[in-house]
Amino acid sequence: MFDFKVVTNWIDTLLLSFLPGWAATLVECVLVALAIITLYAVFAIILIYMERKICAFFQCRLGPNRVGKWGSIQVLADVLKMLTKEIIDMKNVDRLLHKMAPFLVIVASMLTFACLPWNKGAEVLDFNIGIFFFLAAGSIGVVGILLAGWSSNNKYALIGAMRSGAQIISYEVSIGLVMLTMIVLTGTMSFSEICQQQADLGWNIFRGHIPAVLCFIIYLIAGNAECNRGPFDMPEAESELTAGYHVEYSGMHFGFYYLAEYLNLFICAGIASTIFLGGWAPFHIPGLDGFNHVMDYIPGAVWMLGKTFFVVFLLMWIRWTFPRLRIDQLLALEWKYLMPMSLVLLVLMAICVSLGLTF
Amino acid sequence: MSNNNYFSGLFFGIKSLLIGLGVTMKEFFTRKITEQYPENRKELKMFDRFRGRLIMPHNENNEHKCIGCGLCQMACPNGSIKVTTEMLEAEDGKKKRSLVKYEYDLGCCMFCELCITACPQGAIEFCTDFENAVFDRAKLVQQLNKPGSKVAEKKPVAKPVAPAAAKPVTEAKPVAPAAAEPATEAKPAAPAAAKPAAPAESAEAPVEKKESNPETPAAV
Amino acid sequence: MNTESIVFLVLAFFVALFSVLSVTTKRIIRAATYLLFVLFGTAGLYFLLGYTFLGAVQIMVYAGGIVVLYIFAIMLTGKTGDAKQHTLTVGKRAAALVAALVGAGLLMFVIITHQFVSQQLGADITNESAAPISQIGSSLLNAGEEGNLLPFEAVSVLLLACIIGGLIIARKR
Repeated sequence: MFDFKVVTNWIDTLLLSFLPGWAATLVECVLVALAIITLYAVFAIILIYMERKICAFFQCRLGPNRVGKWGSIQVLADVLKMLTKEIIDMKNVDRLLHKMAPFLVIVASMLTFACLPWNKGAEVLDFNIGIFFFLAAGSIGVVGILLAGWSSNNKYALIGAMRSGAQIISYEVSIGLVMLTMIVLTGTMSFSEICQQQADLGWNIFRGHIPAVLCFIIYLIAGNAECNRGPFDMPEAESELTAGYHVEYSGMHFGFYYLAEYLNLFICAGIASTIFLGGWAPFHIPGLDGFNHVMDYIPGAVWMLGKTFFVVFLLMWIRWTFPRLRIDQLLALEWKYLMPMSLVLLVLMAICVSLGLTF
Repeated sequence: MSNNNYFSGLFFGIKSLLIGLGVTMKEFFTRKITEQYPENRKELKMFDRFRGRLIMPHNENNEHKCIGCGLCQMACPNGSIKVTTEMLEAEDGKKKRSLVKYEYDLGCCMFCELCITACPQGAIEFCTDFENAVFDRAKLVQQLNKPGSKVAEKKPVAKPVAPAAAKPVTEAKPVAPAAAEPATEAKPAAPAAAKPAAPAESAEAPVEKKESNPETPAAV
Repeated sequence: MNTESIVFLVLAFFVALFSVLSVTTKRIIRAATYLLFVLFGTAGLYFLLGYTFLGAVQIMVYAGGIVVLYIFAIMLTGKTGDAKQHTLTVGKRAAALVAALVGAGLLMFVIITHQFVSQQLGADITNESAAPISQIGSSLLNAGEEGNLLPFEAVSVLLLACIIGGLIIARKR
């Protein structure tokens, strides 16, 4: 597999050749940040376009098809529109918190986005406690949503924020447990090591067989809820709460919530593909060396993106199939079904690993 | 929730969710029925039962079937139909009602089709045109009978029924030409057409006609 | 003055600024938000030291858990605006002053008398102090020599007490 460290090391030595150490680090940080932000925006546009098209196809429609070929630059036009819209100041809102809340949400989203391993050697934030850091950074977003709901001075926004808080905190429990189950299997929390392990030994979903598959399903459900997406989009239930916590936002501040929502979907899918489907690890069938060799020629980033978009498609399929849950059903699903199940799976996985029943 | 319900409910729920996913996946791959309207304007075909606007079909001889009975006007809840008729004397001396002008206001129409069900002759119907936008409200008031048109002779209509109901055919025969001739004359004088409607006697004529007519479709 | 010291100073200023703001602001929800930033700054300090585990715990537990809990409680109980200012009595003011002075004195005493591991905080300390997660785990759940199982379980008793208390309060309605 191509190791992306070759590129980063080359840039590093190039910068160090004419800059002092601290300046080189600074330039590298800025470069990485620019790359992350660009990727963030590009993926948001791709995802919004994908969502609109896939939603249309599930509903037997064609979707956007006016701006550009097959409506391909429709989202770009929407982004331009969003950028030019006025950011309205409302009376009786807590102005500071109102302006700050979208940034908290987007910062949380970008921090988690930076955790994704793109290729071998192309991880941005790669701590030895990667998964834990991912969970921690993801939990900042809740604060942003709660503050948005509070500072808007609007009952819809407040109710939406309360629901969102209850929902995200609840579903974080089963996400944490599911991740713990997979950590039992992998024995490490670092994303790069998890990927390397899967490249060597096979994808976790095959290695962990039954508990891993069930964990994958639970993760998809809980992750979908974590992203506030349908059928768990109670916080934004437009038929009763107009738009939930971001009802008072306009212009790019609203755009941040919109971006963060789609990127959270992408991040959720990206983490699912990293932990369960091997990340950048290519698909190997033991015994078929020729086939495995061909698979190795496909770059890791393509594998990663392919798997991620596959999971994104699964999540969109779920979203456009099921009706919205009521808030009590939503909490019952988590506390009565998903959490006990993930606890059982944790024990099951621990038994499997300790008895050597994994591959 | 008892213990038994917990697991059976869980599996039932999963099963029903999977069925739902199957349905949407099938839908995902079906051909999309969206009509891309301005592009496919040439070949776009509206479905048959679409009610675009009211028309009065004319045959190749510029003949329509309207006898000017005014039932559609009476049936219309919105008053969007206005039928102007005149009384003409047929060759045999019978007074006969004839259509001068059939005005239809598209702006008032609510497409309920009550006029069409009321029509004894099947003279009016809805067509599937939908590009009805105009810049002036006055243009929405349309005259449905074409200039110079006359009411169709009964013969072609009654032909298939001839063996079954011979009587209406003979009755209708003398009437038709008589009605047809004055219609052409009346046309130029259309604005002044509202000739003082002949009272009681003439009012009976269309009633007779109406009674005889429903038999023919019934016989068919 | 190396890069680490600059980052440390920035973070320290950040923490100090938001600490002051969080006690001087008149709106309770803003105080909670400033507290959030203080906790972020603290987490930043841990990350600067290379102790990523503690940094992540700081964000997860305090920023993601405690502050969210605070905001939830404020949202459920407080009125919008909460403009009503309580003027403190002289006695309360004096008590607060005494408490602050005693606290500051205690803190200063501890800092001055404490022998830090190394007075020269070099750049090389950052990566060495990062304990592997497996070591933390085994030490946390170990009843042996270096184990911390007893405090770990004691904390869980505290949580159990909280759950029972919550249940009792909820059942009274």
